[in-house]
Amino acid sequence: MNDIFQTVFLISLLSGMIRIATPIFFAALGELIVERSGILNLGVEGAMLAGAFVGFVGGFLTGSLWLGVLLGIMAGGLLNLLMAFMSVTLKVDQTVAGLTINLFSAGLTFYLFRIIFKGFGSSNLPNLHTFNVIRIPILSSIPFIGEVLFSQYLLSYIAFLVVLPGIFFFLYRTKYGLNLRCIGENPEAMDMKGVKVSRYQYLALIFGGMMAGAGGAFLTLASAGLFVSEIIGGRGWIAIAIVIFGDWKPFRIMLAALFFGLLDTFQLQIQGIGVQFPYQILLTLPYILTIVAVAIGRRRAGAPIHLGIPYKRK
Amino acid sequence: MISIFGLTLEPRKKTSIPLQTAAILVGLVAAFLVSAALIATAGANVFNALGYMFKGAYGDWDAFVETLVQATPLIFTGLAIVVAFRAKVFNIGAEGQFFAGAMAATWIGLHLTGLPGPVVWVLIIIGSIIAGGIWGFIPGILKATLGASEIITTVMLNYVILYIISYLLSGPWREPDQFYLQTAWFPDHCRFPAVVPLSRLHLGFIISLVLAAVVYLLLWKTPFGFEIRSIGINPRASRYKGIRIKKTLVLVMVISGAIAGLGGGSEIAGLHQQLRLDISTGYGYTAIIIALLGRLHPVGVIIVAIFFGGLVNGSTSMQINTGVPVALVHCIQGVVLIFVLTAEVLATYRIRRTEIDE
Repeated sequence: MNDIFQTVFLISLLSGMIRIATPIFFAALGELIVERSGILNLGVEGAMLAGAFVGFVGGFLTGSLWLGVLLGIMAGGLLNLLMAFMSVTLKVDQTVAGLTINLFSAGLTFYLFRIIFKGFGSSNLPNLHTFNVIRIPILSSIPFIGEVLFSQYLLSYIAFLVVLPGIFFFLYRTKYGLNLRCIGENPEAMDMKGVKVSRYQYLALIFGGMMAGAGGAFLTLASAGLFVSEIIGGRGWIAIAIVIFGDWKPFRIMLAALFFGLLDTFQLQIQGIGVQFPYQILLTLPYILTIVAVAIGRRRAGAPIHLGIPYKRK
Repeated sequence: MISIFGLTLEPRKKTSIPLQTAAILVGLVAAFLVSAALIATAGANVFNALGYMFKGAYGDWDAFVETLVQATPLIFTGLAIVVAFRAKVFNIGAEGQFFAGAMAATWIGLHLTGLPGPVVWVLIIIGSIIAGGIWGFIPGILKATLGASEIITTVMLNYVILYIISYLLSGPWREPDQFYLQTAWFPDHCRFPAVVPLSRLHLGFIISLVLAAVVYLLLWKTPFGFEIRSIGINPRASRYKGIRIKKTLVLVMVISGAIAGLGGGSEIAGLHQQLRLDISTGYGYTAIIIALLGRLHPVGVIIVAIFFGGLVNGSTSMQINTGVPVALVHCIQGVVLIFVLTAEVLATYRIRRTEIDE
């Protein structure tokens, strides 16, 4: 390999890392807020799928990608409203409720896809033109750094430069964020203080669903340009693992998401340059890494104490 | 306590069984109405579509036998979930364990063709049990030693095995000169015998029923089954009683995986005679719905699996005659679960007008 080739490889590796991390990062940030409120939400995969599907249909039918994103975000929020009703109001076991959400979303999106795109088969899937990369003027012309950091999709900029700082500010600099964190640790005490526990949990879940929906919409509207029922491919579960691995802290979650993005891009790049290795085995790497991550990450201290336990007023 | 629209739900002191049953029936009716709305979305006549579905599933003897064929893998995977969920071990990996068993069965059926049929059948049963058990052991041991959430690890292992199989099918195990991703067929004498002459219903169905009885005996008539259930109800108390939780946990995952694996082996040996990626339409995931609706009981699993098998079987006829996509089935399954879960909870409450000052 010569120097120029190495630089090009490195640029596409790092810029791919950010791009591929984006949908998982969205979902993981949403899940962070949900889990901080004490709800273990396993419906991330389902909410991402809802976002991917509704986002695609919206973009395809209206011709506006941004309207698609908006609808995808709303779909994720709506699905998690159902999760909130089941887990917060009815206090159904949270694991069961989350799995139910996933199965329901998988069934519904698959069915509606068949109905809406009746005339299409697996050989001529409906597709659309994806978002264009936004090159930020001046900054994107900086050698190397510009190519990596400032030639990304707008949704990636939003995830890293708006949502992440916003969530950090909310959690650690506002009264509401403090309340939310305390609810995850000791909902009973917060209830006695007059904080409306279930309202926080409802809003957290709706927000989490919207973020997962945004991540899903990114996959169909920025990455793939089409919808297939396997499009999420476990990214919702990986997002849950990243929250664990990131110790329930926003910036560590960002690093974890980027690390996954790097690994995933790396295996894609290796396929791309034609290394003789079965690509299916490379494709297992993100999943194996996730297993390793939860195996190491479980001992971390940042888990909300009341995570996964339904709060019942005595 | 839940308050909405000026009405308050209060917990009942006791919930009677008739009330529970009534609630579940109400839940099923609600799910039925939603399903009807979904059919209407497809632009079909609701009664027409449901009529074809019912006729296709239970209309005559042949249809019913085919429904049992469709129910067979669901009984296996449903039982796998029952064993795990009874211990509050959330095995979401029945899908992968099913494929592990299918892999082992295929290898045996393709390579040990010189042996007499019944010997091969036994080897396929043993092989798929072991393969599924191994695929269940991995998340079990990771949970017991490192505390890794079995929910996430089992889901991840589903993806891992699917990619491994798709690698095998694209090269090493691929039938030569074939376009499709599939292995060669293995010979007929290695195939499970049919239990209803001239039908597709095979030995695997009988095995699944026997297995249901075994799971019942294991869970309710053995000390080990008592340990499994008491861990599910109260892990802390179980530890004080001297139950070795970690060991039980690993064993539960192995047994659960083995059952799902046997299901995969049964499908290969009884039906497909070759390995493909589409031998499961998500049986391992549907199994979760089946086990929960079947109240984590083997008899419940059999009943719900036959109902769901009927949905799958009848939906083909529905699609051909009315154009409503087969995919409706997965939708109905999810909707039923949501409404039944909701109804079950609501049955434990009673409704009153909200009193303004509490």
